[in-house]
Amino acid sequence: MKRRALLAGALAAGLAGRARAEPVFRMGLTPVFLDNDAAVVDGLREALSRGMGRQIELVQRRTYQEITGLLLERSVDAAWLCGYPYLQHADALGLVAVPSWRGGPRYQSYLIVAADDPATGLPDLRGGTHAFSDPDSNSGYLVTASDLRRAGERAETFFSRAIFTYGHRNVVRAVADGLVRSGSVDGYVWESLATIEPALTARTRVIARSEWLGFPPICARRDSTGSEPVLALRRALLGMGDTPEGRQALAALQIDGFQPASDALFDGIATRMRDLEA
Amino acid sequence: MQALGRLPLSLKLPLLGAAMMVLVGAVASQQVLRALAGVQDARVQELAQMHVEGLSVALGPLVLRRDVWEVYDTLDRASQGGEGRRMILTAVADDTGRVLAATDPGRVPMDSAIADLAQGAAALEDLSVGGSGPVLRLLAPLIYQGRMVGEIVTELDVSDLLIERRRALMLLILGNAVAIGVLAMAGYAALRQMLRPVSTLARQMTRTEGKPYPIPAAEIPRGDGELARLARTYNAMVGAVAAKAEAEKRLAERERFVALGRLSSSLAHEINNPLGGLLNAADTIRTFSDRPEVVRQSADLLDRGLRHLRDVTRASLDQNRMDMEHRPLSAEDFADLKLLIQPELSRQAQGMDWSVDLPGVPPGLAAGPVRQIALNLLLNASAAAGREGRIGLDASQGGAGLAIAISDNGAGMPQAALDRLLTDAPLSPGGGVGLRLVRDLTLGLGGHIAHHRAGGVTRIIVSFGPEPGVQDAEG
Repeated sequence: MKRRALLAGALAAGLAGRARAEPVFRMGLTPVFLDNDAAVVDGLREALSRGMGRQIELVQRRTYQEITGLLLERSVDAAWLCGYPYLQHADALGLVAVPSWRGGPRYQSYLIVAADDPATGLPDLRGGTHAFSDPDSNSGYLVTASDLRRAGERAETFFSRAIFTYGHRNVVRAVADGLVRSGSVDGYVWESLATIEPALTARTRVIARSEWLGFPPICARRDSTGSEPVLALRRALLGMGDTPEGRQALAALQIDGFQPASDALFDGIATRMRDLEA
Repeated sequence: MQALGRLPLSLKLPLLGAAMMVLVGAVASQQVLRALAGVQDARVQELAQMHVEGLSVALGPLVLRRDVWEVYDTLDRASQGGEGRRMILTAVADDTGRVLAATDPGRVPMDSAIADLAQGAAALEDLSVGGSGPVLRLLAPLIYQGRMVGEIVTELDVSDLLIERRRALMLLILGNAVAIGVLAMAGYAALRQMLRPVSTLARQMTRTEGKPYPIPAAEIPRGDGELARLARTYNAMVGAVAAKAEAEKRLAERERFVALGRLSSSLAHEINNPLGGLLNAADTIRTFSDRPEVVRQSADLLDRGLRHLRDVTRASLDQNRMDMEHRPLSAEDFADLKLLIQPELSRQAQGMDWSVDLPGVPPGLAAGPVRQIALNLLLNASAAAGREGRIGLDASQGGAGLAIAISDNGAGMPQAALDRLLTDAPLSPGGGVGLRLVRDLTLGLGGHIAHHRAGGVTRIIVSFGPEPGVQDAEG
């Protein structure tokens, strides 16, 4: 018993010593998931820290743009971005891994209205107020904006007023509370909320779902994707399902795991980007 | 007011006290309520000011950026706090007056005009509970970095404060009612106790037995207060009145005995005069017992003398039994009077005019009092006429009434005597009570007394009945 305790102490001291020797790995998080839940963020840091064998600092900002900026200026080593900003900076950024949700690395964008709203599709929402998540969010902006563009409309004029809530959960709240008539939200977030806050999503109704698009990936600067810390992060992510902490974090995130990603995964988003800019 | 005036003092004073207490209670309650309203207004204003200032700090930059979501999120989170229970609605508009967000977006949609909501809203310093209803509406500028960047409209739920105020009002009314009721009852009891001697005095003074009665010693308040002195003074007064009446009664008795005394002396003289003749007749009978004609003449003389003596004694006895005489007046009573006054007239060598004209018996007149009245007046006239003077009596019946006129040729009645006879003025010391007795007896029989003085002759006319035919001296 005593020997075992001593061994555990020595192991812990060794790990701590090693962790102290390595520089802190900083990873940025965009509000692509339930970033308001501290337990989820803590679980993820714990799992990554254990997997990488070093200290992890998770950096959160309000907007996608801020996190992308931090990554580009090397203030963070990696970041969980959205496919849209990744493609915007594809020349400078590289893919590390992509989450797998409901059997694949893809998700949908939902168009939601209040539960008692008679609208059945995007055309019914003309002249109403609308909540986007973030101007750099694929599911929270690009999908609806590009749909409108394809229909010859512009979001600024189609809606009487469009606001940004900088959070997918905020979009659901804005619609549920009646602040706006409709909202563009990450389908993965809405489904996750339906599990943990059913009373909130019950006040909303999904009236349109986009095609399946590439899930927000974990990115690093293209020039550092081969470096040791990023490779370690990739290993930690891909092997997250192998450790209890990892499985706990995955369960909290309500995703299956992480898998390698290719640029082709985001072709759908790239198409929409082109349509929007057309 | 007249009804209040008719109430007894022992009820009126407590009622007045209670009314004053109601007044004082109402004024005090008003003051309390006003103070409570002031406290509540200050409380609500302070709360609203904190709310507005807190929102200004939190929302200033967000409103400047027109960040609708953040404004809404901030308002939403603020409404979840304890303060949110009072702030039932808050809406924030930008500097153009368009609503950015409200805690209830369904009621106040984004981009609606804040002016629609601000109708009827008060400024912070004008915020007052109880003005309109359970919800107060406040309009305040949203100041950030020294300039107005927007407006805030807040609805405050003050129903609890109104309930508190109503409860205070009810408690005040209830408390005042109980206090006033208790104090009024206590005041009523105390004043009634204090005024009991006055009630007793009033009761004793208005008792219907015809004369005032003293207040029993047990009911006189202890000590030397005004009411105790009043009761003692009243008792002394009652005693004095009783003593005076007793004295007057004794004087009247004495006067009757005086008159009787005078009559007795005259009577003795009247009896003494024939006694010599009667004794002579007896001697004559003894001396000439063998001469029948002399005996018969002497016996006749004896008979006449004894009959006269019998009549005189009977009249005296009748007069003395006057108090018990309730038989009706008759012409014989005047004959008695003549018989009774005759010795006094003889003593004074006075002449008399005697006229009695009573064809029927005057109804309802008792013999005793009338005889006393007439005798007193005749004796008075005789005394006034002096030696060798002349007096007269004229009794006549007119209709259902009777008039008796007594006259004398004396020097006339002094004013004091007239006062005793014709008025109820107090008796002056020294004078007799015979004339006042005449007045009392006459009034007791429902009669009138008149006085005339003409041609050196004084006439006192006493008339009874509805149509006496003489001047009413009482008028």
